[in-house]
Amino acid sequence: MRHYENLVIVKPTLTAEEIQASLKAIEEVITSNGGEIAATNAMGMRKLAYPINKNERGYYQVIYYSAAPSAISEIERRFRINEELLRFVTIKYDTNREIKAWNGLVEKANKKAELAEAAAATPAPEAATEAPVVEEAPATEAPTEEAPVATEAAAE
Amino acid sequence: MSEKRKYKKRYCKYCEAKVDFMDYKEVASLRFSLSERYKIMPRRLTGNCKRHQDMITVVIKRARAAALVPYTVTRKQVVTAPFENLR
Repeated sequence: MRHYENLVIVKPTLTAEEIQASLKAIEEVITSNGGEIAATNAMGMRKLAYPINKNERGYYQVIYYSAAPSAISEIERRFRINEELLRFVTIKYDTNREIKAWNGLVEKANKKAELAEAAAATPAPEAATEAPVVEEAPATEAPTEEAPVATEAAAE
Repeated sequence: MSEKRKYKKRYCKYCEAKVDFMDYKEVASLRFSLSERYKIMPRRLTGNCKRHQDMITVVIKRARAAALVPYTVTRKQVVTAPFENLR
């Protein structure tokens, strides 16, 4: 098993759901050929540096996986057939230094995915955590305000 | 008979930063070794060492294939800050 990375550019003319569907199909191509996906990193819709097939934009997705070296030619053949792909770039991480870098990249991508998930999930918990804070603040202020009143009352 | 140096001594910025691996997806970090027209700058101008120059050429060529960096910029395409609208 060797470590690989695939950068995939999906056509921008598709809708968001179609893009996700085609990405899933791409991942399935990798897994069906014996690859294990370690992480995915969605770079999102970007402007291309130069037009590809008259498209100015594209949806970028990076997939990190490990697979047998013999599976790569089949994966690339399947990618070439796929008409929803504008471009794909396969990169091999072979030497020890590159493998170390690959692990770092996978970790980074996973962290980013976690953050994105957390951001999607947080709105409810955040509101819950904020609410008590707001409630506590007046509660702490109230005694301090009351205290001078009490002392004034005592002075009178 | 020591000749006076005409220019500042060049050194490899990547060696100084101890770069071990370059990622072709970080386009902003490639900018240093690219000219205005997106040609790869020669070693004699940037002062990169051989090892890092070899690394950066591979990385830039990958980025070009992935349409992150243009191959060429013609007079029509020249933009003042091309990397900012790429995002």
